[in-house]
Amino acid sequence: MLKMAVMIKQVPDSQDITIDPVTKTLNRTQARNIVNPPDMNALEAALQLKDKYGGEITVITMGPPMADSALLECTSRGADKAVLVTDRVFAGADTWPTSFTLATTAEYLGGFDIIFCGEETTDSSTGHVGPGIAEFLGVEQATYIHSIDYQDPYFIVEREIEGAVETLKIGKPAVVTVVLNANNPRRPTLKRKIEAFRKGVTTITNKELKLRPECVGLKGSPTVVKDMKTMVDKPKDTVKIGPEEITKVVEVLYQRGIVKC
Amino acid sequence: MSDFDAIVVGAGNAGSSAAIYMASKGLNVLLVDRADPPGAKNLSGGVLWGNDLAQILPKWQSEAPLERFINNKKLGFLTEKSSFMLDFKTQIFEENKVGYTVLRSKFDPWLAKKAKEAGALVIPGITVESLAIKDRKVIGIVESGDTITADVTLLAEGVNARLAIEAGLKRPLRDSDVSLGIKEIIKLSPQKIEDRFNLKNNSGVASEYILGFLGELNVGGFLYTNKDSLSLGVVVPMENLRENGITHSYDLIEMFKEHPSIAPLIEGGQVAEYGAHLIPEGGLEMMPKLYGNGYMILGDAAGFAFSNGLVLQGMNYAILSGIKAGETAVEAKLRNNFSEQSLSAYEEKLNSTYVLKDLKTFKDIRKVTNNPMMYNTYPKLLESIMLETLWERGQPKKKIRDVLSSCASNLNMGRIKTLREFYYIYRRM
Repeated sequence: MLKMAVMIKQVPDSQDITIDPVTKTLNRTQARNIVNPPDMNALEAALQLKDKYGGEITVITMGPPMADSALLECTSRGADKAVLVTDRVFAGADTWPTSFTLATTAEYLGGFDIIFCGEETTDSSTGHVGPGIAEFLGVEQATYIHSIDYQDPYFIVEREIEGAVETLKIGKPAVVTVVLNANNPRRPTLKRKIEAFRKGVTTITNKELKLRPECVGLKGSPTVVKDMKTMVDKPKDTVKIGPEEITKVVEVLYQRGIVKC
Repeated sequence: MSDFDAIVVGAGNAGSSAAIYMASKGLNVLLVDRADPPGAKNLSGGVLWGNDLAQILPKWQSEAPLERFINNKKLGFLTEKSSFMLDFKTQIFEENKVGYTVLRSKFDPWLAKKAKEAGALVIPGITVESLAIKDRKVIGIVESGDTITADVTLLAEGVNARLAIEAGLKRPLRDSDVSLGIKEIIKLSPQKIEDRFNLKNNSGVASEYILGFLGELNVGGFLYTNKDSLSLGVVVPMENLRENGITHSYDLIEMFKEHPSIAPLIEGGQVAEYGAHLIPEGGLEMMPKLYGNGYMILGDAAGFAFSNGLVLQGMNYAILSGIKAGETAVEAKLRNNFSEQSLSAYEEKLNSTYVLKDLKTFKDIRKVTNNPMMYNTYPKLLESIMLETLWERGQPKKKIRDVLSSCASNLNMGRIKTLREFYYIYRRM
């Protein structure tokens, strides 16, 4: 039986984020919170392995208490357990202490045969945390995978590289990061939602993890944001053309087979 | 043993009110809604009248996301170039807080949250496939092939009432049962709203209009003020739309917005939301049997809405029917009897409230509100009377009696027939 974990993050829905025209900062107040989209693909990959080989899936997030709704989204889709890692000392973490805290959580929970992460989050786009967890745990990893299979004691994964698809065989335990749209995440059912809401979420704080405060959260973060600038789009050069030129352009496109009549 | 004491389908005013009542009395309640956040697909004109919510949420007036309290109610008759307004503004409304404008996209999620706080399990984003029926008794709901059971299922699924209709608990909708409501939320600064509508201190205005410039179409309009937006829309009977072969119903709201007395009120506003919804206006005609073995029907699904031209209400009917269904379920739980006979208390309770009393008192009201004269003749009559009386054109003046009769005859309104009509309307309103 495979013991699997999926690391997820609650993020603001990027479709709802606007840029304040005056302050030029991101306005997230109107945005609803969703599960980071590639994390849903990571979860689906885990669920498919479970369907095939059996096992147990624990979904884990580090975040504020309100992130429990993101975990319930995952248990509603078939994950077995939900763990919320939350503590004031964890707040303000960059990817280093985040990876460290999540890796420690995985150890605290007895370790996993495989840990799934999304390729990156839509609200910070670093792609650090999956590899970070693998490094802190000292296990094998494969990033940006789109499919996975299991042949004890290996995982066979596929990842797209420039011009080819790479197939890797990695040993257990392992960490993989899954690309966006790698699969079609299943819809939650009412029955599963009811079970998920009834089971609820297990909370882990630093009381359990016992990490040194200077190694986690803002204090443990080496990244410093010194400045932020807004990029302004320069208006593109435009050329006005008449009907003759349009005909010419269409002709060329037609000759090259780009447009068809 | 059922999964829940009660399942409520639909987190609108009816469903959430029922869930709040039942959960606060200790019932194990599941409230499901197809939208996420719950209620996000709900739509209505946008004024909540009355104080029924106080029965379940005593502090609702200070806690709910309310926009403005109504102290000004208007009724307008529009012709192509004129508007004739009845304008009633009163301190008494202000002191008693008789109605509030609300934005359903904020109000409904709040009400569902209250159901959750009361102890109900609220699950949004779920479309129920069908009712689970066993031995002629509703035993719960079916979703993704799973049956979730409950002692009683409350159908607060809205006007389309798909589950009730498919289960044969309600007849399919007819054109004559419903009107089509089309609505926009138009963003406008509070300052502009207060200046244009002469408002202050969160006060607001609710205006209803008769659109007398659209030929054979019986279109009503409404315009309500929110904090920083306006709710504007039109309502037209489905039958009337069909008879006139109107498919581009959205043109109607555009024509309302372009009317010379409306355009300046909304000038510079940005349309933030656009929606359309059916309004159950069929009254007793469309009302299904309200209860049966293991189920009750609430709110719009039961046809609980009221319109007599002067007022257009549905949310308060939904809330009160929700509370009464909740009470019935709690009492049925005490008896541990969810049979048709036990749940018949629901209708008895409604009979002693305005919900069913109004539907009975005004059972013929559609003959008035759908009377074509109301739209294609009376607004013009008012316009011509006003022109005759108020426009100084260097002609000898006439007595009001003579103004009336000449205006009426110009519109081909015979004296006897007109008097009969007025008497007819007077009797039914």
